[in-house]
Amino acid sequence: MKKLFCRTAAGLVLLLAAVSLDAQNAQTIHEVGQQYKEGNPLQGAQDNRVIGSEAMFEANLKAKKNIVDMKPNTFLAMWNNPVFAVQFEKYLSAPAETSEDYTLYTQRLQRIMDLLAPGNATKSNQDEAFNLLTKASQFESDANICTTIHDAVYAAANVRVLVRNLTDANQQNLRDLKTAEYNQLNSALSLALPALAPGKNDVDVYKDMEKEVQAAKLDPSKAEVSALKQTIQKNKAQIATAEVQAKFQLQALILQLFVQRRYQHVIILDRFYRAIFDDGDQSLEQFNQMADRMGYNKEAGQAKITADAAPTGAIASGAADNAHPGVGASAGTGGGAGGGAGAGVGTGYYGGGMNAMALSGSGMNLGVENLSVESAQNALSTAMRTASRTFKSLSQIDSVSNEIIRDVNEGVKVYKFLLGKDEMESAASQLAAVFSKGEYLPSVRTLSQEDKRKTLAYAQLCNRLVNAANSGNIDVLSDVVEQMKKMNPGFDDAEIHAKLQGVKTASSLLVAQAKVAAAKGDLQSVQTEITRAAALWPNNPELQTFSAEISRVSEKASPQVKALADFDMLHGQGNYRRIFDERERYIAAVAVDDSDKKAARQAKLREVMDRMQEIEGAIMRSQEISRRGDPTGAWEGLEIAFEKYPDDPKLTQMRADLTTQAPDFVNDIRQAKENEGRKEYGEALTWYLQAQGRYPMSDLAKQGIQRVVRQIAPDAN
Amino acid sequence: MSRQRKNRGFPAWMLILAVALVVVAGYVLFKHADGSTSLRTVEELDPNLYCSNANSLRGNTYRIDAEINAALGNSPSKGRLFSVMLHGGRQGDRQVILPVLVPTSLGKLTIQKGQHYLMKVNVGEGGLLIVEEARKP
Repeated sequence: MKKLFCRTAAGLVLLLAAVSLDAQNAQTIHEVGQQYKEGNPLQGAQDNRVIGSEAMFEANLKAKKNIVDMKPNTFLAMWNNPVFAVQFEKYLSAPAETSEDYTLYTQRLQRIMDLLAPGNATKSNQDEAFNLLTKASQFESDANICTTIHDAVYAAANVRVLVRNLTDANQQNLRDLKTAEYNQLNSALSLALPALAPGKNDVDVYKDMEKEVQAAKLDPSKAEVSALKQTIQKNKAQIATAEVQAKFQLQALILQLFVQRRYQHVIILDRFYRAIFDDGDQSLEQFNQMADRMGYNKEAGQAKITADAAPTGAIASGAADNAHPGVGASAGTGGGAGGGAGAGVGTGYYGGGMNAMALSGSGMNLGVENLSVESAQNALSTAMRTASRTFKSLSQIDSVSNEIIRDVNEGVKVYKFLLGKDEMESAASQLAAVFSKGEYLPSVRTLSQEDKRKTLAYAQLCNRLVNAANSGNIDVLSDVVEQMKKMNPGFDDAEIHAKLQGVKTASSLLVAQAKVAAAKGDLQSVQTEITRAAALWPNNPELQTFSAEISRVSEKASPQVKALADFDMLHGQGNYRRIFDERERYIAAVAVDDSDKKAARQAKLREVMDRMQEIEGAIMRSQEISRRGDPTGAWEGLEIAFEKYPDDPKLTQMRADLTTQAPDFVNDIRQAKENEGRKEYGEALTWYLQAQGRYPMSDLAKQGIQRVVRQIAPDAN
Repeated sequence: MSRQRKNRGFPAWMLILAVALVVVAGYVLFKHADGSTSLRTVEELDPNLYCSNANSLRGNTYRIDAEINAALGNSPSKGRLFSVMLHGGRQGDRQVILPVLVPTSLGKLTIQKGQHYLMKVNVGEGGLLIVEEARKP
């Protein structure tokens, strides 16, 4: 055993020396790992600790949040967004909307769009389209958006009527003003002067009279002119305000629908807008001015969105509740989401921009932090300003919506084509992009469940990949990556595999470092390194091997440790005979024991030795007496030791053997003891006397007699 | 020749001697008959029965014919403890040895090793034999 231990230690020393020479230039985990593979396992312990730390930092999946942060491909990158993943999986699992209701709904929307199309938007077609809005709104898929549009258009049309009425009224007021001014002039000219000049003393009185006459004649006409002027100005101001407000409301609703990815509704409302405000002004000037005028409360901060639930309703109601009641009312959605919806508009729009990322804009509105009236207003203000900088006219929105509809329809066709070619990653990415752009468009909603099935399986696998990466269990991750590769040969797993290999190498390095520490007897470092290695790769086979090796080596390399452990165990069991039999081993181990248990172990060992020496002495004396042909005396010698140490196996065995050689004496003693125990001292004394009669030299009998006599007559001498 | 006196009667000295002999014999017989009468009616102790279950004999009185073996102790209050060997009582090939307590009431009795006594004993508490009467045979 000693030879093996020496060889192991020497081997490790040589190994350390060799590595410190060969691997001096290895600065990274990859370099060290490569050297380790090539047979140059380790550098010095200190260097290894540095490398191990680097490996932990580099390879720890949790520290990197998750492995898909590296964006190995587009689809995985999308799955990195849990909100999107949930929404998309729900879509993939849902059946296609091929019901008659949905078909009728899409037909009605299309009919409305056709009626309002440039060149078709006659007065009667506008009315028909307006009436169809309420019918289209009856379908669940519409989410009452058509009703919202209907109400908004109705309100805007009423404003137009009001403007027209005010304009007519002002024209009449102008005419009346001109008449009043004319009458005033005539009144001034018709003032009657006195025929005779007043006397010198009556000049002042004359002037006063003249003023009174002038006032009596001109004041009514002056008041009429002034009132007319005021009315005209007031009407002009009301005309301007009402039109601006109506335009703003419609423009805001159009932008909101765009953010909600309700592109067909955007186009419908845009066309109604053009029909209502036929003055040729297509700019978003009113919206932009309104956005610029909105303040930003820096102290309130920005509302923060934390999750997603019902994006469309939330956005609409938020605007209604917090900033501009008009906008909210026109949206027509419930107030359940409260101010949080308002925050959703802002953040969503930031994240989305105007093109493909519209999903983010509508899909992140479940939980809101820092929600207050002020923060919601800030969010709305920010969203409006962003929108005003993005779009300059309604034509832009209209064209972008049309472009997105076309793009989505084309994307669905491309998806089907890629699916047919078994190019899963591209197909899934295409579908995810299409879904994010136009979730509510007919071509997306009517995609059959069969067409979505493969992508669903692929998506679930991606979900597992993300979860496995987040869990840090690289064995599960490897398994999922293999499955993905099998399902989609085009899956780019190179970076993930590189990462996994890095983790495995790091774990192996830590195991190797633990071996070095073990060879040095540094148990603390062994524990630390093994824990780190297991944290990186729990199922690392080297861990199992190391565990078995360390058990074996520890027994061989440290007999002292093993001996101390055995001593503690045997003493706990009360197996003092075994300790005595191997006393040289335990005496040596306890002598060099450097733990804090040394004193206690020494005391225990001393106690065991004293005890066993007494037992062994009794046995030796008994054997000697027996050899002289005195089995009774031999038994008696053992019996005295047995009373003190009844659990020694050797003593017990010898006593049993001798009992058969002096049965009468043994019987006498036992009877005597039994009666003594029962306090039958007369009988006990009789038996002791019998025993003494058989074996006059018996100490047991003599002592027994003395004891019993003392019991019978305590004052006996 | 002279004629010797042949029928002179029983000589007086012989008569006195005879009377004296009768008196001495009567005295001896009287004395002897008086000592053995009290133990003759007492049952002899069965040593085997005593050794097997002395407690069951408690309160009984027995007669033993024993030789003093050894003095075990001397208590001023309780008396003297002796071990005695029963005459004729054997267990297997060995003589039976029993402990007896000679109470203080028999304190005048001179007892020493090797003396032979007839004893009247009572089985007392704990099976101890308490001597009630002791007499040399």
